[in-house]
Amino acid sequence: MNPSFKLLLVLIIALEVSFTRHLTINLVLIAVTIIYLLTKRIRPRLFGWLFLMPLFPAIAVFITIAWFSPGHDYFYAWVLFSRIYVYVFTGAAITQTTSPLELTRSLEQNLHLPSKFAYGTLAAVNLIPRIKMTVKTIRAAGQMRGIYLSWWSPTLYFKAILHAITWSDQLAQAMESHGYVEDRARTSVHQIALTTRDWLILIVSIILIQIITFALP
Amino acid sequence: MNQLAIDNLTFAYTPRQTTLKDVTLKIPTDSWTLFYGASGSGKSTLMRLLAGLLPKYGGKILQGKLQLPDGLTVAMMFQDPGMQFALDTPQHELEFALENLQLPSSEMPARIEHALKFCGIEHLCDRQLTTMSSGEQQRAALAVLVAMDTDILLLDEPFASIDNHNRSLLIHQLTLLQEKYHKTIIVADHDLHGYRGLAKQIIHFENQHAQLLDAAASDALLKSADQLAATVHHVKLPTASDQPILTLKNVVIEHGNEKLITANDFSFFKNQTTLLTGATGTGKSSLFKAITHLASYQGIISYDGKDSQKIKPRRYAQQVGYVFQHAVDQFLNVTVKEELALSLKKGQNPYFDDEHLTAALRLLGLSKLQDRVVYSLSGGQQKKLQLLLMLMMGQPVLLLDEPFSGLDFHSLHNVVDLIKTSQKIYPQTMIIISHQLEGLEKLIDRHVKLADGRLSYREEF
Repeated sequence: MNPSFKLLLVLIIALEVSFTRHLTINLVLIAVTIIYLLTKRIRPRLFGWLFLMPLFPAIAVFITIAWFSPGHDYFYAWVLFSRIYVYVFTGAAITQTTSPLELTRSLEQNLHLPSKFAYGTLAAVNLIPRIKMTVKTIRAAGQMRGIYLSWWSPTLYFKAILHAITWSDQLAQAMESHGYVEDRARTSVHQIALTTRDWLILIVSIILIQIITFALP
Repeated sequence: MNQLAIDNLTFAYTPRQTTLKDVTLKIPTDSWTLFYGASGSGKSTLMRLLAGLLPKYGGKILQGKLQLPDGLTVAMMFQDPGMQFALDTPQHELEFALENLQLPSSEMPARIEHALKFCGIEHLCDRQLTTMSSGEQQRAALAVLVAMDTDILLLDEPFASIDNHNRSLLIHQLTLLQEKYHKTIIVADHDLHGYRGLAKQIIHFENQHAQLLDAAASDALLKSADQLAATVHHVKLPTASDQPILTLKNVVIEHGNEKLITANDFSFFKNQTTLLTGATGTGKSSLFKAITHLASYQGIISYDGKDSQKIKPRRYAQQVGYVFQHAVDQFLNVTVKEELALSLKKGQNPYFDDEHLTAALRLLGLSKLQDRVVYSLSGGQQKKLQLLLMLMMGQPVLLLDEPFSGLDFHSLHNVVDLIKTSQKIYPQTMIIISHQLEGLEKLIDRHVKLADGRLSYREEF
C-alpha cells in the first residue's frame, strides 16, 4: 500500500479509536494488523517486543479503571487495555514495512507536502547518533567541572539546544550546497505509485471501521 | 568572463567586527586556487560567500560585490565530513542531489555509477554514512559534487580530519577533475605542505584582507611549509624511573568498521607533558575519547594501576580531565565570570588563588571580558578561557586536544608560560594533541607518535 495512505489510515484509526468506547473494533483492528504484519514476515523477536512493551502501561491502565475508578467499569478497562495495543500494532504496521525515506518520498510526491518539511525531518532523523554523542560530551564536560548533569538538568538542555541550532544551520547549508532550493520543483528517481487499489483499500477500510464501530454492539 | 570577480568586498557577521575588509580578487576559472591563512582569517567566509550561503545564513555585505561567471554552477564541500549529508547512505544522498537539479530519472543511474566509481566508493554506496570513516565520508561528499557536475568546486579544509591515504587519493581525483574536465577548484587550508606543483595560485588571508601572492612568494610559502613540516626538535625517551599513570593493555579502538588503534602494552608517564602526534584521521582524538570513556574500546585502560572502568565515573572525572577540541563544548555557563566562579569553587589546582588568577587573566587578555557571554568571544579567546578553566580544575591527568589551534604566536607563548608556571607549583600529567609544533619546545618532555595504528615513543618531533 502507498506509504502516505498507510499513514493516513493509521492516523484516522488512532483518532477514531481514541474517541469511541468500542471493544469489538479494537480487537478486530489488532487481529487485522497482526495478520498484516505476519504476511510481511516480521521477525518473531520483534513480535515478542510488540506484545511485551505495552503490557505494563496497559495493565496499569486496566487496574486503574477496573479497581480504582468509582464505577469499577471492567468493560471500559478492557477498551483502554486493547486501545494501547491498537496504537502499538498500527504504528508497527507503518514503521516495520516502510522506511523513513520511502515515506518522505511518498509524502512529497503523493500528498505534495513541501519538500522542505519532508527532507528537513528526514535529515533530523539521520542526526540521532550525533545527538547521542553530544549529550554524552556535555555530561562529561559537567562531570569534569564537578557538576553532575541529570537528564532533567536545564544546563544539559541549554547546551543541547545550542548545538541543535548550529546543526540545523549547517544542515540547511549542506542541503543547499547539494543543489536543494526551497520550493523549486524536483524530479524523482523512484516514483511512488498511487493506484486505484490504494484508494479502494483506504475507502473500504474506513467504511468497514464505521460499520463495525456504529452498527455492531 | 572567465574569472570569479570579487570587488572591494567588506563583510561582517556582527556589526562590530568585520571579517573581510576591502577584498579585491580575481580568481581565474579552469584552474586550482588555494586559500591560505590561520583559522579565523576569513577563508571559509569568502568561500561561503562564493557558494551563495552567505549572507543568506548570516552576516551582511557592507560594501562591494562578488560576481561569478554567467551560467557556471557552484557546489561546496565542508570541513566537517559528517555534517554535509541530509540522507542516510551515499546512494540516497546522490539521488537527493540529482533530484534537486531536476535531472530526468532515466539519466540518474549512469551519473551515480560514474560518480561512485570516480571516487572509488562503489562498494560503500548502500552503507550508512554514520558508520563510515571521515576519509570515506569526504570521498562520498566529493562523489556528490562529481555527480552534480558543477563547474566550480569549493572545498573548505576538506582534509582536516582525514588520513594521508585518503588525502592523496582525493587530491589525485581533484587534479583529474581540474585537468581533464576543466573544473575550477578552490581549496581552503591552513597547512600548505604537500601542495607544491598542484596549486596555480595562492590567496593569502590575514588581518581581514586577502591578496593574491605572486609566483615567487607562493613558491616560497609552499617550500617553507614543506620545510616546517620537516623541522625537528629533540626530546628524551622514557626512562626506567618514569612512573606509569595511564596504561593501555590489549586495547583496540575502532571507528565504524575501521580499526584505528591497537595497543598491547603502552603507558603514559606521571607528571610529564607528552606530545601526541599522527596524521589526521589516525585516531588521536578517539584515543582521548576512549581514555575518558566517551567512546567504547576493547581491552583495559588502567589509571594509576587500577582498571579505569572500575573507578566510579564521578571520581574518574576528577582524575582525568579532557580539554575538548571545540572550546564551546567545555562551557557550562553563560558569562566568563560564571565560568571562572565554577572552576574556582570546584577546582583543585592550588596555584590559582585570587592573585594568580588575576595575573593569569591579564596574561591571557581576558580580564576585561568577564561580563561577556562565552559564546560571543572570538575563537582564540574561547580557547584561552577553556584552557584556563581546565587548568584551574587541576585533574592529575589532563588530555588536551588541539589546545593551541587558532592562537596567534603571542597568545601561544603566554599560554605555554602559564602552563609551565602552574606546573611548577602543581605538577600535572598532560597529553597534548597538536598540529602546531612551533613554540612548544620548552613545554614538551616526551613525544608519542601514532602511525599505522600503533603508539610509540620517539626522540624527535
